[in-house]
Amino acid sequence: MLQETVKFTPTDLAKYPFLKDTAAYMKRLGLEIEELTSPELAQILTRAQERLEQALLFVYTGQKAAGDIEIPSFPVAIMLAIATKTSFIKKRYALAEAKQAYLEFQGETAERLMAIARDFDWNIALNTESGIPLDYFSVSLADYLRNITHLRDEKWKLINRLLVRGRVFLKQQDVARLLQEDVQRRIDIRLDAKEAPEFPGPITAIADKLVEMAKEKIGEQEMEGFPKVVSQSAFPPCIAVLYDAATHGKHMGHVERFTFTSFLLTIGMPPEKVAETFKTSSDYNARLTRYQVEHIAGSKGSGTKYTPPSCSTLQTHGVCTNSDELCRRVHHPLNYYLRKQKLQPSVQTNA
Amino acid sequence: MFSRDWVYENFRAYYRSPRYEFPSPQSFSQREYAFLLFKERAMVRHKSFHSSAALVSSLRERIPSDVYHSCAYYENPDADMDKKGWSGADLVFDIDADHIPTSCNKLHDEWKCGNPACLVAGGMSGRGITPEECPACGGVKFETKTWACEECIDTTRTETRKLLDMLTNDFGFSEHEIHTYFSGHRGYHIHVENNSVRSLDTMARKEIVDYVCGIGLDMFDKKRRDSAKQKRKTSTPVFALGDYGWKRRLKNGMRTYILNSAKEGLIELGVSKKGADVLFKNKQAIVNRCIEEGRWDTVKGVGFETWMRIAEHVKDQEIAQIDTVVTSDIHRLIRANGTLHGKTGLLKAEFPVKDLDTFDPFVGAVAFKEGTAHVLVSDAPEFKLSGETFGPYKNQRVELPTAAAVLLILKGRAEVQN
Repeated sequence: MLQETVKFTPTDLAKYPFLKDTAAYMKRLGLEIEELTSPELAQILTRAQERLEQALLFVYTGQKAAGDIEIPSFPVAIMLAIATKTSFIKKRYALAEAKQAYLEFQGETAERLMAIARDFDWNIALNTESGIPLDYFSVSLADYLRNITHLRDEKWKLINRLLVRGRVFLKQQDVARLLQEDVQRRIDIRLDAKEAPEFPGPITAIADKLVEMAKEKIGEQEMEGFPKVVSQSAFPPCIAVLYDAATHGKHMGHVERFTFTSFLLTIGMPPEKVAETFKTSSDYNARLTRYQVEHIAGSKGSGTKYTPPSCSTLQTHGVCTNSDELCRRVHHPLNYYLRKQKLQPSVQTNA
Repeated sequence: MFSRDWVYENFRAYYRSPRYEFPSPQSFSQREYAFLLFKERAMVRHKSFHSSAALVSSLRERIPSDVYHSCAYYENPDADMDKKGWSGADLVFDIDADHIPTSCNKLHDEWKCGNPACLVAGGMSGRGITPEECPACGGVKFETKTWACEECIDTTRTETRKLLDMLTNDFGFSEHEIHTYFSGHRGYHIHVENNSVRSLDTMARKEIVDYVCGIGLDMFDKKRRDSAKQKRKTSTPVFALGDYGWKRRLKNGMRTYILNSAKEGLIELGVSKKGADVLFKNKQAIVNRCIEEGRWDTVKGVGFETWMRIAEHVKDQEIAQIDTVVTSDIHRLIRANGTLHGKTGLLKAEFPVKDLDTFDPFVGAVAFKEGTAHVLVSDAPEFKLSGETFGPYKNQRVELPTAAAVLLILKGRAEVQN
């Protein structure tokens, strides 16, 4: 199929600075890090800082400036975010940029929206299938599946979508929402710089200010992990059932064992204690159990630390049982545990 | 162990035959291979081969009871798991009678608790699908005697047919991307080799599993239902039916179900006597009005409960019962095509997708085609192999073709006689 080529203008790049064309634009501009602190370019740095501040405070990227400031302020904001070395700030910034883009996407023409999608290597087309609304788009199965990973509403489940011969049919708003995911991922990748360069003093000073701001905004507790004491009464129903099965020596399938073990390890139970819970199991083998538990804990084998599967995965494999009111509001057993624990901080037993 | 040695000899002769050829999977050298050794009963993993000939010579040397390869492609297939460099995987489906209740597993599948301290002397035993735990002592080790009969195969074939319908019509895979195999025991494997699915991660594959298994299906038209609610018609479900995907499946299924329904069947579903009566007498009119035109609240006596029971039943009929773990596991080892199954001596055998209904595994997957053996059969139901019918046997000495003798021995139902 011949695809109409949409050329992105500087106005587009100001709206969507994450597009690949921005790199060429920046190259023509030829900015150096050191120059950013010069008075002539101060506006760019100020706008970049504003992007991040607005992101932290309101998950928003702020009022747009003129094109020649707006476009370069994006890569500079990325650099500032990297300089903060704070994953919360990076995540929040990527989210804010993506959300902003989502709002813009909804008002785009079909051609321009498809051009943006193709910038993300999507296989997208206008609907030609009769019986499906004319203003729908079709995207490839792989593009669809890649972008719904973090979307929880059941309407995003593939089974609730129009899937015809490998194409998923979507209205513009849904395409925009899925593109938001890809924008966020693209920015996340850019922020995930393994080695941050040495930044000039003024840049570091702004970064420090942003870190302070983030701490004020979200408090220290978000940065912390799980509480130290294991609270059995806060177990989600699925884990409670598995706990009962393990301590009564009942049979557990592979998925069940893995879920249970990784859950206990993640909430801070030491591996020896986790292995002990299996002791009454009729096929208990101390050495093997310890190995398996330590493997999941990351100290043996591959060294990867595993976290328990999400609620939807547990549903797929039939491990989700007795779900209650709180279950409906969470998507992960760990989330249930954290919330429940907050609700009942005084009831704590050692499991 | 004499019988097992005899089977081993046959496996060896099979793999060492100059006519033996290994049908290479796509991207042969990027796969991990694994062998279950016949004698040691140990798994040898993380093997890789540069050519089909190298693999065959390894098979001839080791004589495994079972041969597997990864559904995944790796940069270094023989490295440790975390150093393999995953670069993609086929989308695989396993449909196995082990997990699907059939009317025949009560007849030919037996289990016995393997816990020496079982509360039932000698170990509790039963027929049908092996329970997860012994009802008497909670033990989890069982001795099982399973069997693969034509009904098992028919059941898995039906599930496979439903899966193939989804894979072609909904997922859009072409026939040359879909490979269908008899598993060598009692079911089917379906491999999809397609560039766009190669790189799908576990989460994405899980969505595909949910699609195939009907998990999370929202059967209602939310918008219309909300407006019906505002009009206080809360008792009416407004199903979202259509011409594509699950909407089509639900629509066709509900239509067919109602048109073919019998009163008893409806009552068995839990529909009230009155509801069943109304439905049965006005089949065509109800189909037209409700299913075709979407006027769900216009039939007296057929309300929310009835529609829900029918819809749920239809959904359960339309899903394909696959092993959910296999499809979402991106490192899965799967039996290699053209190799012998250690529980039957049959081959995992590929056949064209269009031949699903005509390919008879008990003919097409038979490996041992020559010779006979004298065996003492303890207990075997009637069975067919290579078009011949055998049994039933009970403590009988018989002379059987090699394939039949191997099958009975591997199933623990016969011993070879000198």
